[in-house]
Amino acid sequence: MKRFFISLSIIFFATAALVSCDKIEQQSDGTYTVYAGAVGEWNAGQGVADKSQRALLEKFTGVRCNNCPTADEQIATTLDNYAGKLIAISIHDSISSFCNPYPNSLDLRTAVGTSWSEGFGRTTSSPSPAALVNRMKKDGSYDIFYSFSSLSTYIDPIISQDAKVAIGVAAARNNGSLDVTVDLEFLESLSDKLTVTLAVIEDGLIATQLLPDGHTRDTAYVHNHILRGVVTDVWGADVDCTGAAGEKRVALFSTSNVNPEWNLDNCHIVAFVSKKENREVLNVAECEIE
Amino acid sequence: MAGAFAAFSFPFSTSEAQGIMGGHVTGNVQWDGQMSRRDSVIGASDVPEKILSNARADILYTNGNFSAGLRYEGYLGPMLGFDSKYSGQGIANYFVSYKTQDFAVTAGHFYEQFGNGMTLRAYEDRFLGIDNALRGIGVMYRPFRGITLKGVLGQQRYYWETRGLVRGVDGEVSLNDLVESWSEAKTRLTLGASFVSKYEGDETVMSDIPGYKLQLPKNVGAGAVRIDLASGGFGLQAEYARKGQDPSMMNNYIYKPGEALWVSASYSQKGLSANIQAKRVDNMCFKSVRSESGEMLYINYTPAITKQHTYAFLSMYPYATQSTGEMGLQGDFMYKFKKETLLGGKYGTDVHLNASLITGLDTTIVGGKGTDGYTSSFFGTGETFYGDVSLEIAKKLSSKLKLTATYGYVLFNPVVEAHAGDIHHNHVLIADLTWKINRKNVLRFEAEWMGSDSKYTAEVDDKRCGDWIMGLVEYNFTSSWFLSLSDQYAYNDGVGNYYNISVGYTKGATRLQVGYGKQREGIICIGGVCRNVPASNGLTFSLTTSF
Repeated sequence: MKRFFISLSIIFFATAALVSCDKIEQQSDGTYTVYAGAVGEWNAGQGVADKSQRALLEKFTGVRCNNCPTADEQIATTLDNYAGKLIAISIHDSISSFCNPYPNSLDLRTAVGTSWSEGFGRTTSSPSPAALVNRMKKDGSYDIFYSFSSLSTYIDPIISQDAKVAIGVAAARNNGSLDVTVDLEFLESLSDKLTVTLAVIEDGLIATQLLPDGHTRDTAYVHNHILRGVVTDVWGADVDCTGAAGEKRVALFSTSNVNPEWNLDNCHIVAFVSKKENREVLNVAECEIE
Repeated sequence: MAGAFAAFSFPFSTSEAQGIMGGHVTGNVQWDGQMSRRDSVIGASDVPEKILSNARADILYTNGNFSAGLRYEGYLGPMLGFDSKYSGQGIANYFVSYKTQDFAVTAGHFYEQFGNGMTLRAYEDRFLGIDNALRGIGVMYRPFRGITLKGVLGQQRYYWETRGLVRGVDGEVSLNDLVESWSEAKTRLTLGASFVSKYEGDETVMSDIPGYKLQLPKNVGAGAVRIDLASGGFGLQAEYARKGQDPSMMNNYIYKPGEALWVSASYSQKGLSANIQAKRVDNMCFKSVRSESGEMLYINYTPAITKQHTYAFLSMYPYATQSTGEMGLQGDFMYKFKKETLLGGKYGTDVHLNASLITGLDTTIVGGKGTDGYTSSFFGTGETFYGDVSLEIAKKLSSKLKLTATYGYVLFNPVVEAHAGDIHHNHVLIADLTWKINRKNVLRFEAEWMGSDSKYTAEVDDKRCGDWIMGLVEYNFTSSWFLSLSDQYAYNDGVGNYYNISVGYTKGATRLQVGYGKQREGIICIGGVCRNVPASNGLTFSLTTSF
């Protein structure tokens, strides 16, 4: 019996030690760094013409989630209702088994989608569909919800307020690179450290999707608002600003890291400014890629 | 185990409700406050709230093996030197616990230490304003005699919030208890090991290379092994800890693994004790949030090996442990000359000699943020951080008079407080005379002198510089009251005249103290953990009671 307990204890310690430590491999240049996406150089800007407060809805979805098409329809209706005041992103991650692609079908999962889901506390057992508006928190955790029948209760409190910071975005192709210009105008003083995230979103992607009856697979299902990647780092690029009311900043983010699988004709850029500490989105804008 | 959990559930069962009523409640209350007004000489500022106050009340309910407790804390507003993030009030700590000889489980807030704390020390020090309690679950289990296992899982307190995620296990084997034939052996041997890890999500931390960010480890582990050997009057304790890659604000986001070694050897017999301690700490700062640079959210602790001085001038330069890297050595010797000997006299004489030296590490820089940072030689030493020697002789002169005379020398490098300036060399002389007038009346006099090569300059603004004298008179009368008068004066190359008067009354478990005077800006440390104390000028009060 004693040997059993000692063996058990040793196994417990060894397991704890092995699973509880990450090791980062050193790069050939002696660093432990990785490309962070376009950073952008901030300068004095001209301001933002459209000072609207908009909301960002991030939907956690999956091709094997039979309730997700219904949520897609509800979101499409809500987007129409809010006409430009709401911007949506659909996230497929490598955490949820709902996102595992069907054979011979497009894989919609992305590394950035996985990082975001993980960062918001999603686990392998988290239900789908789920959504998060403006990365708001409730009781210390991200306020992820699972019912799409009353989206307005999450959106209205945000868009009914005056914007603290206005954001504008423009994007253009440039000899294989992508140039994205972001303008910020502070309408109130903000003391928080801020980041700007630039997400590449694609519409009209065809991938097999499980339908609400739970067994039919639609091989021609059209997926919209799909997160394909980011121009900046996963959690955004730092904004160089004082945050004083009236301050206007502009930055050009240029990246050659354009995935050939992206159909830029169907892509647009979603830009959002967030608080660095808690990731709360302060405002969001989108634009086509010229 | 099943029985233990069955017993754990009984206090909540309706049929045993009288059991809850049969328990008892204990607690303690502490209320401290201060007023301070502007004094440009010592650098004290006006306090907008006029009165600052820290209050707390601990309530503990115990019923057999079951206990539950909570703590109210109120910082309205926080006293000077306490972080403004404490501002507010509420229930800061609560727990339920079930404990038997072989099993204990606590849910809620709890404190725990593995070994010397080099992998985990969840503790609080109300004087320093530090509380890194874990909120989660902690378990202790003794599967059989001689073996103790512990496990913890929780988040750390961060003022009024909790942060991070900490998991840890600890095992300790007492070979004398485990092996029956060793149970009566004079030599006692205990071995222990611990492993603690923290989890923290990804974030963007840019490297010094434009456009590149750090790849951050989400799980960082630290492990330690320890030994405690005692035989007769000899004792040997040692602990070695190692930590994985842990880039953080505290180490400028470098990836060098951390390690720490602490060794203590001692000998004691009647009238004599000797102890020598050594430690080496290299990049061993372990916090649950990598971007936290303050005094909160430390997961571990490296033992201090400098003497905790109590006299004012010897403690004016307390040493703050440099968990990013230091080497240290301390020797401590105590001897009692027996009565009726040449040096012992009629009542005997106590001699206490202590010396310590702390240096930095001998390092070679290999890169900055996002690299290994530096390499270090295990036995090499860097610049001197701190050193002190103190000789204390305590002698009872008569049945009513006791004199303690102390000489101390302190070497202090301001770099350990992240300040500029030259190394300070201070000599201190202290005479402490206690006159026990009768059973209820005691008078104490204390005189101190400190000569220093440091000079006050407005650029550095270290108000501890210069040569100082101090006098103190303390009168305890009727066993309940005390009155204390003191003054510290920088008579050469320094600034400030810090007078204080305080009066206190004690009745039973209740003590009330009111004081008025000036507090010098400085730093206070307990066990190498420190906080800044700003200058103040005004009234202070303190009320403590327990029930």
